[in-house]
Amino acid sequence: MTLRRFALPILVAIAVGACGSDPPPPPAPTGPTDEELAQARADSIARAEAEAERRAAEERAAREAEEARMAAMEDARETLQAMVFFDLDESALTDQAQAVLRRKVDVLRASPQVQIRIEGHADERGSTEYNLALGNRRAQAVREFLTGFGLPQSRFTIVSYGEEQPLVNQSNESAWSQNRRAEFEITAGANAINPPS
Amino acid sequence: MRTTTTTVLLAAFATLLLTAPAAAQERDSIPGVTLGLVYETAYQPALALKPFTGRFGGAVAATQVEAIIGRDLRYSDRFEILDSLPASLTGEGIDYQLWDGLGAVWLVSGQVEGAGDGFVLLLELHDVVYGEVREQARFRLPDPMDAGFRMAVHRVSDTVVEWVTGEPGMAASRIAFAMPDGNGNKEIYTVDSDGENLRRVTDHQGLVLSPTWSPDGSRMAYSSYKSGLPRLYQRDMDTGQEEMLPEVRDGDHITPAYTPDGTRLAFSVVGGDRSGLYTWDVARSCCLTSISGGRWYDFSPSYSPDGRWVAFNTNRFGDRVPQVMVMPADGGEAETLSPYEYGARGYYTSPEWSPRGDLVAFHGRIERGRYQILVADMNDRGRRIRQLTWEGNNEDPSWAPDGRHLVFVGERRWGFGLMVVDVATGRTRTILSGRQVSVPEWSPSLGPDR
Repeated sequence: MTLRRFALPILVAIAVGACGSDPPPPPAPTGPTDEELAQARADSIARAEAEAERRAAEERAAREAEEARMAAMEDARETLQAMVFFDLDESALTDQAQAVLRRKVDVLRASPQVQIRIEGHADERGSTEYNLALGNRRAQAVREFLTGFGLPQSRFTIVSYGEEQPLVNQSNESAWSQNRRAEFEITAGANAINPPS
Repeated sequence: MRTTTTTVLLAAFATLLLTAPAAAQERDSIPGVTLGLVYETAYQPALALKPFTGRFGGAVAATQVEAIIGRDLRYSDRFEILDSLPASLTGEGIDYQLWDGLGAVWLVSGQVEGAGDGFVLLLELHDVVYGEVREQARFRLPDPMDAGFRMAVHRVSDTVVEWVTGEPGMAASRIAFAMPDGNGNKEIYTVDSDGENLRRVTDHQGLVLSPTWSPDGSRMAYSSYKSGLPRLYQRDMDTGQEEMLPEVRDGDHITPAYTPDGTRLAFSVVGGDRSGLYTWDVARSCCLTSISGGRWYDFSPSYSPDGRWVAFNTNRFGDRVPQVMVMPADGGEAETLSPYEYGARGYYTSPEWSPRGDLVAFHGRIERGRYQILVADMNDRGRRIRQLTWEGNNEDPSWAPDGRHLVFVGERRWGFGLMVVDVATGRTRTILSGRQVSVPEWSPSLGPDR
């Protein structure tokens, strides 16, 4: 009991004495509550996540666009390299061959830096030297078709390998029909292939 | 029987023409041309070889020399050969009655003597009927281990042929051809006329085709993709030195052939702005001359031995119907040599003019997908055509220097090989088999040191 009676004034005296004559301090700032801290933390995480997601989406879109571009380029490259095939002892272009070449025209128009070597081939039947001539005729027929669409002749060189480089090294009709062909080698502008516009 | 078959074939052919004109190229015979084994009734005298003897260490060489000469004379297809006879039968001297009894008309005897680092062969040709020595000569031969030994003996064989027939032989010659080297390349090789002595000529690590010999055998030209595109090269066969001929025009440079005087090379340029046949002066390295061409392709030229005419292959009638034509050597109007009738043309390629000038050999598609060797008789303006092969596929004939043998690529069930046919008798032999050879070209007679 006695202790309680003295205790209060002492506490007051201490409190007053501590302040002394200094101006009263501003009210002590009330610190954020734990809830607030947690909230802020959650918010910043959410923002960062949203930002990351946005960036990822952007990157994904860019990547997808790049992939699409690469795929289109790859398609265009494959279109340029697609072989055409011929009938026995013929250099005339079949309907199928013309369709393949027509697609090349579009790619070549969109890719003016690209230059092509057209390689003519024959199957093993018939004479070695005649097949050299025939392979050249085939390459020539292809070049004439392409330049017929206004593509400059200077973009194409031709060469015949005759019967010397069969695609399928067998002696049957299936092999022969695959060996009577023109192949296309990109000799310049391989990095400047554009898909048809 | 033959008439009936022909009628049936003609009827079938007519039906084909009516129903499917495109199929007309593939037919079973050449219409309007007599095909057949129309061989000269060549008398083949019996020629015997008396076993060759040796002196001063020449015994072993004598046996080898006799064997090579015996085979060369057999391969000349001009004699019935009696050889490999036992020495005990034939005795030491020359007993003409004995040889007459054996049926021999001619007898060849030889003695090989060791002489320094080589040998000397004393050769005699006996006329058995008259019982006398007709010719004799001494030949220096290198050691049998020496690279030049076989060719030196082949020259002796050709001397015997000339003694008896007055005509050139073909033993001292080589055949050049293209063949895979086993590493994915195709290079030029040669063998001797008897198929021995396989040698590699080029090492382009690539594709080399269409070898052709200069008229004296000292040079060879061919087309090669060494530079990336087919271009022509000329090689000195003695030194092995090689040069690429200039790119005279835009296009593939293919199928070279020397003029008979050896100063110019004719060849084809295809795929440029003007395809066709050109000549280039290889002696002076100048003077490109166009002798044919335009939009169509002429190729595979071959000169008549007098240099006045050139036979060549052309696609000017269409890709399906390559034809053999002949025109003046400087160009001019060309005539079709390969057979056709009723406007129907076949597939005929690879002409080569014989060194005698009388025949042009080529090959044609005769039966469905079958290629056979044909010769056109130029004394009859090429109207008489003979078919020389009947079995398998046969392509790219080339004349031996004797003007009566052709080498060609034969394809049989057993594979590919170099085959030789005697145009006079039709006799055919394989001299190199089991190799994927192509575009053979027989050399002229090769003098010493070749």
